[in-house]
Amino acid sequence: MSKDSHQPVGGIDSKTAGLARSATRKFRMARGGSLVIGRLTEHGHANYQFRLGENASYYVKLLTSRGAKTLWGKDLERALNSGETRPKVGDLIGARRAGREAVTVTARRRAADGRIVTEEAHFAHRTRWIVEKVRFFAERARLARRLRDEQADVRETVRAHPELTSSFLSVRAAQDFAARRIADPKDRERFLSLMREAMAASIQKGEPLPAVRLRDPSRAVEVSTAKPRPLRPDDPTR
Amino acid sequence: MSVPAPLSTSHEILADPHASEWLKSALKSAAERDPIDALNDALVLAATLEQRLRREFDLR
Repeated sequence: MSKDSHQPVGGIDSKTAGLARSATRKFRMARGGSLVIGRLTEHGHANYQFRLGENASYYVKLLTSRGAKTLWGKDLERALNSGETRPKVGDLIGARRAGREAVTVTARRRAADGRIVTEEAHFAHRTRWIVEKVRFFAERARLARRLRDEQADVRETVRAHPELTSSFLSVRAAQDFAARRIADPKDRERFLSLMREAMAASIQKGEPLPAVRLRDPSRAVEVSTAKPRPLRPDDPTR
Repeated sequence: MSVPAPLSTSHEILADPHASEWLKSALKSAAERDPIDALNDALVLAATLEQRLRREFDLR
């Protein structure tokens, strides 16, 4: 490669292109990756890319319409075994990168006799996966459409889909909040539509649905009888 | 670790009572064609069916 290859080509140099690619990747990760669809053919523990020197990982092999595909990630095992539909070999499944979570990896160096000589903690990110039978994602897309539909009869929808109760309660809470705190009707509408869309996107992605938590009456009494804390000078006034 | 699903042969699929009639019929008609053309078309068919699945079920 010549030196000139690092110079701007068509207005974009390689560093900028790299940054753009990285930003696109980060955006995709935040939004949730695209859904990979295929027939589950095999899964299990193996060193990354089946290479001897690589770290222990987990793989999932799929037969997709574009051929065989292997996904890698330690979280794939959890996603397969503790998802809602627990897919088995032979099932048509969907797999999606759902985000990343911070993990601490402890690197240990051992002496010949097995004694740990040094121990070092490293911070890293682990990709979180959602792996379910494909019908699960179809159902989630249907639920997301119901939540996005502002004209839908909420009672009717909740009766048909009780799993959406908590989501609609959250929408209701957001509406109450907006009515009390946001004066401009346009801003209020924008806030509510962003909130509704974020919830619908999360449902469609396959994230766990929020559970309905009923208020504990004993705790409510506790809260109501608790003595209010005296105001401090640096307390917010509103 | 899972046991990889073995690929069934045409004969096994045709004899399988659980396999769909649509698949059996496609296999029979493919058997009369050039194997390269048949596989090429099958890949196009698979990709098109995936597109349909994604469109109809709103899978993104």
